[in-house]
Amino acid sequence: MARMGELCASGTPGDSLVALGLGSCIGLVLLDRRKGVAGLAHIVLPASDGHNKELNPLKFADKAVPELIRQVTARGGRKPMFEAILVGGASMFASAGSTLEVGVRNAAAVREVLAKERIRIHAEDTGGSKGRTVRVDPITGIVTVRKAGSKDEQLFPAVPKTSSHSRVLQEVA
Amino acid sequence: MSAQYNDVQLDALRELANIGAGTASTALSEMLGRSIDLAVPDVSVLPMAEAVELLGPPEQEITGIMLGVEGELPGTVLMLLSPENAEKICVMLGLPPDSDLAPSALGEIGNVVGTSYLNALAGMTGLEVEPTPPATVTDMLGAIVESVLAVRAMSSDRTLLLDSSLIVEGEDCSIVFLLVPDHGGAEELLERIGVS
Repeated sequence: MARMGELCASGTPGDSLVALGLGSCIGLVLLDRRKGVAGLAHIVLPASDGHNKELNPLKFADKAVPELIRQVTARGGRKPMFEAILVGGASMFASAGSTLEVGVRNAAAVREVLAKERIRIHAEDTGGSKGRTVRVDPITGIVTVRKAGSKDEQLFPAVPKTSSHSRVLQEVA
Repeated sequence: MSAQYNDVQLDALRELANIGAGTASTALSEMLGRSIDLAVPDVSVLPMAEAVELLGPPEQEITGIMLGVEGELPGTVLMLLSPENAEKICVMLGLPPDSDLAPSALGEIGNVVGTSYLNALAGMTGLEVEPTPPATVTDMLGAIVESVLAVRAMSSDRTLLLDSSLIVEGEDCSIVFLLVPDHGGAEELLERIGVS
């Protein structure tokens, strides 16, 4: 479990990495599916610049991403094989300016750090106004997302849709 | 820098929360035409990661009414109630349960209740406070609370929660009322009442 400003990684069968109720925060998943290892960071803010040095560095995108890479690598993951999945970054209170900014800026900051680390984003469910829970099975590499009032839906790997309705949605996405 | 308070300060904050919630309950009682009971307020200073769990299961669906507070006591007022209780409150106000007006009616409840709470604090401490318009949302508890906390995560890993419960008598309906001062806000409060 990754709570605000925490991260976790695993390559153990039966483990499930989870970040519950992400709002403006980002749940960043890194996977090496061939090795069956995964990591999950619960990122709260974009950048640590100019903030108090005594603060938990792992809540900031610029510090959390390198540490997540380190932890997944330590469990046998190979950086060139990493696949990144981004979840969260919502604006829960659409009418209140400041929280809106944080979600969007968090997603942008994580994308920027990943680009710098040359890790590709393979799936993303970010923005909007809904909270999300993300779960990762490190062995299968299956990532599911649940929004308030709905069921778990598989975000990665992409599921071939059967109904014509969802096919349209997939094309748009 | 993490906020640390001694027992005397926490008692003083609890007393402030009690008086604020007392005034808020009177306002709510007038709006709903019902008696309102108050639970003893809780004051806690805890890591943000634990603040969410203190309030309930992070995935629980909840209705949140948020008011920003500006002026000399910057912070956030957050009222949390189950969607069923939000519906009950709307019915008490004379609205049909699935009315489109429900979010704005709840926002107005939040506005009146939150403003009375803040005015009580302002009256006791002489601090100028200015509430911003309410925003109402129904979603996962964790997502609502972390979005409120994230804004103040820039200055601290910990947060101060002043937590009161307003209970509508005979209706099995309660509202959790939270004041989350920004970093420095609580110090200002304590200074004004002479226990800094």
